[in-house]
Amino acid sequence: MNPIDDDTLQAYVDGELDPVSAARIDAALAHDPLLADRVRRARAVRAELRAAFDPVLEEPIPARLSALLQPSSQPVRRGMARGSAAAGHAAAARRRPRRRLVAGIAVAASVVLVGMALRGWWAGGDLVRMQDGQVLAAGDLQHALDEALASEPDPHARVGVGLSFRGTDGHICRTFVLRARAARAGLACHGDAGWSVLVLSPAAREDGELRPAASALPADVQAAVDARLRGDVFDAGQERAARAAGWR
Amino acid sequence: MVDSTDAVRAGLIPLLPRLRRLARALAGQAADADDLVQTVLERALARAAQWRPDAPLDKWVFAIARNAWRDELRARGRSQNLFVPEAAAAVVDEGASARPADRLALAAALAALPPDHREVVALVLVEGMSYGEAAEVLELPVGTVTSRLARARIALQAHLGKDA
Repeated sequence: MNPIDDDTLQAYVDGELDPVSAARIDAALAHDPLLADRVRRARAVRAELRAAFDPVLEEPIPARLSALLQPSSQPVRRGMARGSAAAGHAAAARRRPRRRLVAGIAVAASVVLVGMALRGWWAGGDLVRMQDGQVLAAGDLQHALDEALASEPDPHARVGVGLSFRGTDGHICRTFVLRARAARAGLACHGDAGWSVLVLSPAAREDGELRPAASALPADVQAAVDARLRGDVFDAGQERAARAAGWR
Repeated sequence: MVDSTDAVRAGLIPLLPRLRRLARALAGQAADADDLVQTVLERALARAAQWRPDAPLDKWVFAIARNAWRDELRARGRSQNLFVPEAAAAVVDEGASARPADRLALAAALAALPPDHREVVALVLVEGMSYGEAAEVLELPVGTVTSRLARARIALQAHLGKDA
């Protein structure tokens, strides 16, 4: 058979090859050790590069960078522009209770901006509303947070829920994904006024179904979860019980 | 009305970790990479009015990053590498690798690639874009991206150990 050229081989490795050609290579791999070796080496380059550079994702964001992204209406204060925006706000709130309000307003401002950007993009009404300085879930988002169970996923629902847990302040929090062409993911925590949306970020497209694994969450949503998570996330029974108790 | 600068600013926050990773793959050293990120953030905010809200912000920002990096290379002189190969050790997260020597060699090899090749590797293999998405960011035909990536990959492969 014809040797497989490097362009084709790498398209196979990178998942860019059409299914028919990919199936042909799949079949050839079984009885062509040289080809199998080329595939393995091409994969190794990608894996090693990811292993070398992915740790950058976990590094704290330098203050001079996050300071550039403070909302212009908010004064940039020393000590707040530290870590990634969400993690920094959360950490600052933990260290200095007096700063909680300021940090909360800054986070709320960015949630509102993203929420407003969703208008027109999400057919079926607003997903968030403002009340007393809080960003509260509304419409489809509120309904999903109240009713949906991660243990009974509905792949056709436009809002999917992921992790549920009781936060450090005693309130129940849930991560969610808005399924659309440009997906969004976020974290909401239940309080007297309803579901307060703490983070809302562009998310990677899901591969078919909701992946509740923490690795699927955008970094700032993950940081918000980490800042509040105490103990374990709910299992199916705890999630159901929490819904029956009105998420209190 | 949401001011476009505010919308871009809000959208950039969750992109920062990925932007820093991309910059590290392009520029190499952490300090150079964060200088690049700072330039990108300033340009993105200054040009926020040019961003169409229905377009993916990441591609728009990554294109700004690539162009800013190219500008920086030009400013430093066409023939000069941004840093000497042994400095590439700073890129590698020590202790994360089962074969640290290989990974160090790989990072050094990436730094030694011509810019045309390095930017394709950064977008596809490090950032994880499809060939088509990378072609859009680089404003190149997909075939050019594919052939550059294949050549770059072979150069990088030579730096992995035989057991890789």
